[in-house]
Amino acid sequence: MSQSNKLDAKIPSGPIQEKWDKHKFDSKLINPANKRKFTVIVVGTGLAGGSAAASLAELGYNVLSFCIQDSPRRAHSIAAQGGINAAKNYPNDGDSVWRLFYDTVKGGDYRSREANVYRLAQVSNNIIDQCVSQGVPFAREYGGYLSNRSFGGAQVSRTFYARGQTGQQLLLGAYSSMMKEVNKGNIKVYTRREMVDLVLIDGKARGIVSRNVVTGEMETYVADAVILGTGGYGNAYYLSTNAMASNCSASWRAYKKGAFFANPCFTQIHPTCIPVSGDHQSKLTLMSESLRNDGRVWVPKNKGDKRPPNEIPESERDYYLERIYPSFGNLVPRDVASRNAKFQCDDGKGVGDTGLSVYLDFGDAIKRDGENTIRAKYGNLFEMYERITDDNPYKLPMRIFPAVHYTMGGLWVDYNLMSSIPGLFVLGEANFSDHGANRLGASALMQGLADGYFIIPYTLGQYLAGTKLEKLDTNHDGFKSSLDDSSKHIKKILDVNGSKTADYFHKKLGKAMWDNVGMSRSTESLNKAIEEIPKIRKEFWNDVKIPGDSNQINLELEKAGRVADFLELGELMARDALERKESCGGHFREESQTEENEALRDDDNFCHVAAWEHEGENKVPTRHKEELVFENVKLTQRSYK
Amino acid sequence: MGDQSKLMSLNLKIWRQPNSGSQGEMIDYKLDGISPDMSFLEMLDVLNEELVQEGKDSIAYDHDCREGICGMCSLMINGQAHGPEASTTTCQLHMRKFKDGDTIVIEPWRAKAFPVLKDLMVDRGSFDAIISAGGYVNCNTGNAPDGNAIPIPKESADLAMDAAACIGCGACVASCKNASAMLFVSAKISQLALLPQGKPEAQKRAESMVTKMDELGFGNCTNEAECEASCPKGIKIENIARMNREYLSSALKSK
Amino acid sequence: MFSKLFNHLNSSIIKKQTMGVAGLLLCGFITMHFLGNLLIFVGPEAFNLYAHTLTSNPLIYAAEAGLLAIFLVHIGVGVKLTIENNNARPQKYYMKQPTGRGANFSSSTMPYTGIIILIFVILHILGLKFGTYYETSYDGVKMRDLYKLVIEYFRQPSAVLGYVVAMLSLGIHLRHGFWSAFQSLGFNHPKYNNLLILISKAFAFIMAIGFSSLPIFCFYKGGN
Repeated sequence: MSQSNKLDAKIPSGPIQEKWDKHKFDSKLINPANKRKFTVIVVGTGLAGGSAAASLAELGYNVLSFCIQDSPRRAHSIAAQGGINAAKNYPNDGDSVWRLFYDTVKGGDYRSREANVYRLAQVSNNIIDQCVSQGVPFAREYGGYLSNRSFGGAQVSRTFYARGQTGQQLLLGAYSSMMKEVNKGNIKVYTRREMVDLVLIDGKARGIVSRNVVTGEMETYVADAVILGTGGYGNAYYLSTNAMASNCSASWRAYKKGAFFANPCFTQIHPTCIPVSGDHQSKLTLMSESLRNDGRVWVPKNKGDKRPPNEIPESERDYYLERIYPSFGNLVPRDVASRNAKFQCDDGKGVGDTGLSVYLDFGDAIKRDGENTIRAKYGNLFEMYERITDDNPYKLPMRIFPAVHYTMGGLWVDYNLMSSIPGLFVLGEANFSDHGANRLGASALMQGLADGYFIIPYTLGQYLAGTKLEKLDTNHDGFKSSLDDSSKHIKKILDVNGSKTADYFHKKLGKAMWDNVGMSRSTESLNKAIEEIPKIRKEFWNDVKIPGDSNQINLELEKAGRVADFLELGELMARDALERKESCGGHFREESQTEENEALRDDDNFCHVAAWEHEGENKVPTRHKEELVFENVKLTQRSYK
Repeated sequence: MGDQSKLMSLNLKIWRQPNSGSQGEMIDYKLDGISPDMSFLEMLDVLNEELVQEGKDSIAYDHDCREGICGMCSLMINGQAHGPEASTTTCQLHMRKFKDGDTIVIEPWRAKAFPVLKDLMVDRGSFDAIISAGGYVNCNTGNAPDGNAIPIPKESADLAMDAAACIGCGACVASCKNASAMLFVSAKISQLALLPQGKPEAQKRAESMVTKMDELGFGNCTNEAECEASCPKGIKIENIARMNREYLSSALKSK
Repeated sequence: MFSKLFNHLNSSIIKKQTMGVAGLLLCGFITMHFLGNLLIFVGPEAFNLYAHTLTSNPLIYAAEAGLLAIFLVHIGVGVKLTIENNNARPQKYYMKQPTGRGANFSSSTMPYTGIIILIFVILHILGLKFGTYYETSYDGVKMRDLYKLVIEYFRQPSAVLGYVVAMLSLGIHLRHGFWSAFQSLGFNHPKYNNLLILISKAFAFIMAIGFSSLPIFCFYKGGN
């Protein structure tokens, strides 16, 4: 496996505080009247794609926006509950841009790019202002000022929130800005479209092929640049907190066209999800980790203790997070909380029918603050829990288990958020840039909106101003051949005509991923995955069954197309995990741990981004390295004890 | 999975329609082995798996997040939007709310402005059209003053949030005997009218959104509050009253 | 020139509000009518004098024309709204169940109770306003003996029955309609809502029972 060095992150020179301002000043501008001559495709309408489409249209670009749902308002950013971070320091508790930057780099276990993260912290404040102006109803204090809470283990209160629906409100804000531009004719929205290929002409991204999932029609669209805001690939595990339609296909097709895929093994497993109840389970539901502010996590001290929780006396309960991490207790970062839940269950102390859950107990909080206070804080989450599990969490402790939630990895991008393909920009969860090996709570919303509202409007302009782009239409051979390839791909899936459904293969892949590339990984498990996944893939291509044809709504066909891509991506995730022989953040290698079972980084050998280059079908991809240079943050072993 | 004895058998009557241009009909299906812990959509997944195995076209229905927030799922279940349980989307409805041997009737949302695309899937693009007519604050990126520059009374912020909780699923239209979209439209008008940021355009917004709503062929409100009762997010018809005020004031004053 | 005005008047919301305002005005009318009718309980002279004073005032024609206009607006807009509402759902549901948390009997029968009331009003005007002309005189002033007509009219049990059915329909119509008009005009306040609904129910009840008591009284009076 070759490890070459051909990635240029294009980080501006100068002190970190001045890089972004300097970069903006150094960037070429496009005259306002000329902007409308440029067409930009934005795929995805979540926080990143939606905010990018709106901001670019406001500047005057001609924007074509694509989404798989029936409306841009339904992108899965909508499901984020907890909040969005910003370094406003309204509570006067010592926050600053520098601290937010520092916390994010540290939280990511030093596997993110300093300059990107600093810029993220810098623009975080503008995001709050922008969203307030759009009419996002953030929580307020009685004086009328914005309310903040502490979240996800942060030592300062920097999280802004709108009840338990922050993602929804921010997304609707971005969506409303998009709709404003739709009304002005600056954005054309294409709903119920799935991007099936990226079109490259002269080595530059110049358009896409999409499938209209209602009519089955394959369509081509030409543009001067293509922006992907298509989210993460957590659904490679089948069960995750992602939406059913969340998929990796857009990123994967870009990867196959030459975009590097960075750190695919970095996935985040969220500790407070509702446990799996049976084989029928189609997705997992997350509950905001704000629950850990008042809930206490425990398991019975004795293995296999099957008594109902209220019959287990205090002395026989193990509040293991409080025991192991006395200073952070139940508020340790997500990866730590998740891993410890897994260890307890592996140790035979898991609770519930399946033995795959731990208790999150509000008994003490209810005793201390009263049921009404707890209801006011978490009422909607408790209701949701009861609706799904039929248990009343005011009376019995909740049962929780970790679930795949977010993927820090994604397409490699430089400081300008441009991938290794010129003209292809990648924003939000779909790129790899800001969260390193672990994302902090309330930072995903921040990154998506930072990328879309405040970064891409500058960096796209710089690209377009400095690049010679010939005038094209979709009759160009590049479009014809992409269209042809995409149609063949769909026909190939339909022609298998086997005996098993797409979900069958997806579940099988998911199990292989969860068991071998999940919360805890080893050389053995990863090699097993690398062996097993190609077999599932082969079986898929021999035995998948899709009724109906491609000229209509065919949900099975859509699913199968996505599963086919996950079956390839899953293998890459395992390969990346195998090559990264250190533990860091959400990536835990059993071979690399401290004596106390904490993740042990290897900064000498792995302080870099691994970016994978596609080398062709069924060929081993090439792993490139982008060395990470830390000039402002001192690398330390994370400790939450 | 738990206890075999708890598994249910169901008789389903489901609307099948190949595409928007064709006629549809109710088709009967029998389904066994349904766990009470399944969500309603997981029950449909089981049926679809069976249909695909038999080489038949699976039943098309909209769904995405499956946690009650994206607003993609719909379905009239036994004549009620999102089924019998209050404040619950179809994806959050669980089979334990039904009994072994029950007959369940499943239909798509029905409204002129929501044409059926296939089976249980409808086109709710009209909602986007209404929002694009004025459901926003005209504030371009970069214009914003500091978030705390304009204090907003907590009561207003909370009321605005109540209205903003709308997920745009269309249950209000589906359950209204007149297929009126007033709850949806009023929720957005209210949210923005309650906040100082939205005030400058409040009347213009009410006017353009209502005009668009009327154009699209939604029915009129007869104040029955079935929309409120079937709204999974508990949006109140108080918002419709607020929209009525905003619109009346615009109609009287506008030039 | 008037297109903007017309667009406003034709909008869903102004139509509802027009319906509501006309309805409230009609509520005013029936309240006055009811109070006047109560004079039947006092006796022939009081009732006939009241009727005479009312009808001999030349302004009565303007008032009647106004009332007719309000009626026609209420009916016309109601018909238009109902047709539009029907068109908004061309394909009906195979099964439709109320949630039990919103609509009530009154709200879901508005067009039907409205039709019953309309039929009643026509018969009522034909039978009473344009009914047999009896004459009487008080202190030498000749006037129509409306009291006699009323007593005669309600000798027939079918007239009493029809009247009572219509008044119950009116009550059901008002139970939703009265409150609904306020909602349409934008009055909905958590603090006052319950009171308004109570007033709505009380008003509906008083009108239904109060009006119904009249023919029953006349029936027994006439029988004697």
